[in-house]
Amino acid sequence: MSNPELAILMLGLFVFIILLGFPIAFTLMAMGVAFGFYAYYTPGQDFFDNRVYYLLSQNTFSIMNNDVLTAVPLFLFMGYMIERSNILDRLFYSIEVALRKVPGSMAVATLVTCALFATATGIVGAVVTLMGLLALPAMLRAGYDHKLASGVICAGGTLGILIPPSIMLIVYAATSAVSVVKLYAAALLPGFLLAGLYVIYVVVLTTLNPKLAPKLPEAKVKVPLYKVALLLLQAFFPLAILILSVLGAILFGLATPSEAAAIGALGAMVLAVAYRAFSWQRLKEAVFLTARTSAMVCWLFVGSWTFSSVFSYLGGEGLIKEFVMSLDLNTITFLLLSQLIIFILGWPLEWSEIIIIFIPIFLPLLSHFGVDPLFFGVLVALNLQTSFLTPPMAMSAYYLKGIAPKFLHLATIFKGCLPFLSMVFVAMAAIYIFPQLVYWLPEVFYGN
Amino acid sequence: MLNTFLLTIDRFSMAVGHAFAWCILILTLGTSYEVFMRYVLNEPTSWAFDMSYILYGALFIMSGAYALSRNAHVRGDIFYRLMPPRVQGSLELVLYFLFFYPGVTALIIAGYGYATDSFGYKEVSVNSPVGVPIWQLKALIPAAGVMLFIQGIAQVIRCILCIRDGQWPAQLHDVEELETALLQAKRDEADTDAKEGAR
Repeated sequence: MSNPELAILMLGLFVFIILLGFPIAFTLMAMGVAFGFYAYYTPGQDFFDNRVYYLLSQNTFSIMNNDVLTAVPLFLFMGYMIERSNILDRLFYSIEVALRKVPGSMAVATLVTCALFATATGIVGAVVTLMGLLALPAMLRAGYDHKLASGVICAGGTLGILIPPSIMLIVYAATSAVSVVKLYAAALLPGFLLAGLYVIYVVVLTTLNPKLAPKLPEAKVKVPLYKVALLLLQAFFPLAILILSVLGAILFGLATPSEAAAIGALGAMVLAVAYRAFSWQRLKEAVFLTARTSAMVCWLFVGSWTFSSVFSYLGGEGLIKEFVMSLDLNTITFLLLSQLIIFILGWPLEWSEIIIIFIPIFLPLLSHFGVDPLFFGVLVALNLQTSFLTPPMAMSAYYLKGIAPKFLHLATIFKGCLPFLSMVFVAMAAIYIFPQLVYWLPEVFYGN
Repeated sequence: MLNTFLLTIDRFSMAVGHAFAWCILILTLGTSYEVFMRYVLNEPTSWAFDMSYILYGALFIMSGAYALSRNAHVRGDIFYRLMPPRVQGSLELVLYFLFFYPGVTALIIAGYGYATDSFGYKEVSVNSPVGVPIWQLKALIPAAGVMLFIQGIAQVIRCILCIRDGQWPAQLHDVEELETALLQAKRDEADTDAKEGAR
């Protein structure tokens, strides 16, 4: 039954309920069931014979045996284990010492530490708060500019959802049917590009204006080379090797993402043991948090797939397509408009909701505008960095504010985030102008 | 009295969630074992693929009620968090009946039919010749629905207590996200400082 008016009502009602703040997964499920019951109803049918029940159980089960999403709890577990392995302070110290001669050394070290740790854990909030306790006081003591110090922590910590192996890319792959492996290869260079832009920005800024980042005292800079190597060997290399082997196994096709994630989780437990941080209590915490967060992500899928099958059965998808066609957009205006919408959705919503619920609305339009879902995915992944950094709802800034000393105002943190926010847009423009940044690695690894 | 009832349901959901949470450890070790068998001993197992999605599926579907009891399901809280608790409670009370119970009830009905069909012919996986049974995984769908239904009762009681008392009743504590724990520690510290200052 096609009933586009009903589909519009469905979408409108859903947006309204989201704004009321009710758990989204169940709202989607209930609305899918209710509208589906009406849509599939045939007169004289028994209450229990409606096809919506079959649709619901079929959708639920297809999430349960989805071999892409299997990697989600495994990567979460790896992240929660690394979070609890006491590695961060050693990691920060070793990188700080290694980079001591670079202008703005502590800020650059913070960026690198955040990027590496966030890539390994994939949990933004934890990175920002931990670094807020560790790197922020150190930078403030050294007389660093408050805006710069808070900006690097917020921006660096957010990189974890972008740089592979990231959970967000798995979720996008499950939504769009793009291969995870290709998406990882495609997002790698843009991820490094953004991290590189951040570092260049800090180095240039502190070279031009050394007052923002006072040089460290002579005594601290004079560390013998063998000691630097030893420090790096203790913290930087183990974590870097863990990430690289997980990512390498995936990219070279040695293991599926889930298998690589399992090895990564095992490696994280080994790391925790090696740093004498492994305990029954911490293992339990990681296990329970993994269950909770997996339930959050995957139930969102259950609700969303049910909702969207009913929505397109009612003709909602076709209606949106018709509407977008009537706007007479070309590829670039379509991309600009879609990214603007995602940018704005990023204020009130989190990446999981945006990718699982709203990206499916854009996906059927891509082929019409000749946009590769792979390319679109990388653009979205870059764009969602902004949802953590854009006032007034910047989650990263709030995490940092919650942990920072009182004299560091929220406005200062927001101002500190702004230059990094503009780097995100630069990176998005760069991959639009040079699409090879996205396509080159997948082509090298997997041909066309 | 209501409070005891509420916490009993919370504990039940938590116990089931915690039990199924351990699937992740088996999944990690089992998958690592498969990789080891394949590359080191050149003898891939025949059950690893089926095992992986069965454990993953069981893990998330049976943690749904636990996540609900700990308020871990995402919500768009842009306006919600600005409301006073009584308004939050009244609003949620209505929304639980309109936008929670219909879906969850349908899940129980749908899952029950789906699982009994599958059990009827003792369905096995087609992924390997071993024929790993999968009807038990399908049976978890109505089970998860029942868990959510029960946890929903606790959530409704929570709303009623909130409307009565003007604040949300205390939650069970098992484990918090690291950032939540750290931020809470910071707030507690600030509170203590403020008290010391007042003295």
